[in-house]
Amino acid sequence: MTDVQERSGVGLTTMPPRPARSLRARASRWLLILTGLAFFVACLRLADVDPVELAEGLPTLAGWLVQAFPPSTEALPTLLLRAAETVAIAVVGTAFAVVLALPLCVLAARSTTPSGWVRVPVRLFLNGLRGVDAFVFALLFVAAVGLGPFAGVLGIALHTWGSMGKLFSESIEALPSGPLEAAELTGAGRVKTASFTLLPDVLPSISGIGLYLLEFNIRASTVLGVVGAGGIGQELKNAVDLLAFPRLATILLVILVMVTLVDQLSGRLRKALA
Amino acid sequence: MTALSVRGLTHAYAGTPVLRAVDLDVQPGQVVAVVGPSGAGKTTLFRCLTRLVRADAGVLEVFGADLQQLEGSALRDARRELGLVFQSYNLVRRLSALQNVLVGRLADVPAWRVVLRRFPVAEQDLAARCLDQVGLLAFAHTRADRLSGGQQQRVAIARVLASRARVVLADEPVASLDPASASAVLAALRSLATDHGKAVVCSLHQVDLVAGFADRVVGLRDGRVVLDLPADRFDAATARDLYSRTPERTSA
Repeated sequence: MTDVQERSGVGLTTMPPRPARSLRARASRWLLILTGLAFFVACLRLADVDPVELAEGLPTLAGWLVQAFPPSTEALPTLLLRAAETVAIAVVGTAFAVVLALPLCVLAARSTTPSGWVRVPVRLFLNGLRGVDAFVFALLFVAAVGLGPFAGVLGIALHTWGSMGKLFSESIEALPSGPLEAAELTGAGRVKTASFTLLPDVLPSISGIGLYLLEFNIRASTVLGVVGAGGIGQELKNAVDLLAFPRLATILLVILVMVTLVDQLSGRLRKALA
Repeated sequence: MTALSVRGLTHAYAGTPVLRAVDLDVQPGQVVAVVGPSGAGKTTLFRCLTRLVRADAGVLEVFGADLQQLEGSALRDARRELGLVFQSYNLVRRLSALQNVLVGRLADVPAWRVVLRRFPVAEQDLAARCLDQVGLLAFAHTRADRLSGGQQQRVAIARVLASRARVVLADEPVASLDPASASAVLAALRSLATDHGKAVVCSLHQVDLVAGFADRVVGLRDGRVVLDLPADRFDAATARDLYSRTPERTSA
């Protein structure tokens, strides 16, 4: 440091002074900070945040925790079956979403569908699906197709269709457009150019996205049973309703083990794909 | 019949003129090298020639069809006469060399065969012969991203050879290649004209590559054609003139 300074004779002291911030810039900065704070305070009020209530509730929670030990093992076979049902809901729902999202992602990507007349409505449709949570869809489907895992499958499939279509189309847009342009110049149609020049290059990233969403859906499926859409969530709700704490503890442990296993597995698969 | 005939091609980007009334004629079997300093309009000329960009004015005839006037499916059909070779090769990285050559055949293969990767034997045979032409038959089953830059560019040339294109547009095809790879690529381009009667237009920024490759040299500066010479008359002094800052008109 000193060497450089001595040799060149320059340093912080000879650097041109930092330009002063204008009064207006400083005022708008403070205004931004204050607005942010006011917004957060308003949110605290709206959310009924009350530390006293939390403190008063803690002993009750602690009591439940004590009652939950030791977790019961008598219903373990049923619970494992229900956990498998949860995984099945996520797997089937995600698979349906893949089939639905593949054609639409081509229509939602700028590089493959330059015309806004098609692309914008497709994007709006996908965003609409993504905006409604799988839980909400499941609630509707329980009313339409009845209680059980199938309602959960439909809920997961519809919501994931939206997210997947959007993410797939983004990974198409991230690809270099050259190979596609070269293929389109031969006069070949959309189906041929997309399936032959786009799919091979986009396959690693879309399988990564598929696995990630599957992993996400397995976590999301654990609560679907609360609205009657099958899986371990139904057991969870029953146990809470009946205040069966040892059983609740077992359910939570089963969920924890299941989710951890899936995360590990999916993480490893995705690393292998990359 | 003239393969490519350009008259008065004019284009501006945001009010700045980039091409000013460019004229260019290329015959089947002929190689034309386009040279000129950076910013002369070479890249814009190529984008307009492929109709990736529609020039503001002018005539762009490919075997008599004016691409400037065509739209939609008529344009798509007419553009099948054009084969592109890009600086960045534009191969599908995760497909084999042979499959990349088959991309040139996509238009004539039924969609279900493309989706299932079941190309007719005749098409595969044709693709293999095209690869052989550029000396890469041994690499037929090698993935494109495992090939060297020069090899990838030769695969791209084989892809053009396999397609129906009779006019080949190569925009700086050897800009990122070492000298040995560059001469192999230019030899392959040369053979498209000599052995297959295609019309080749190729932009280069190394003027020393022109000799022994091109039949004609077209020099661009400030969006204008400032020289159009047989390649053997394009000497070092002419090249220096073209690249020097003080504009000094040279013409045939």
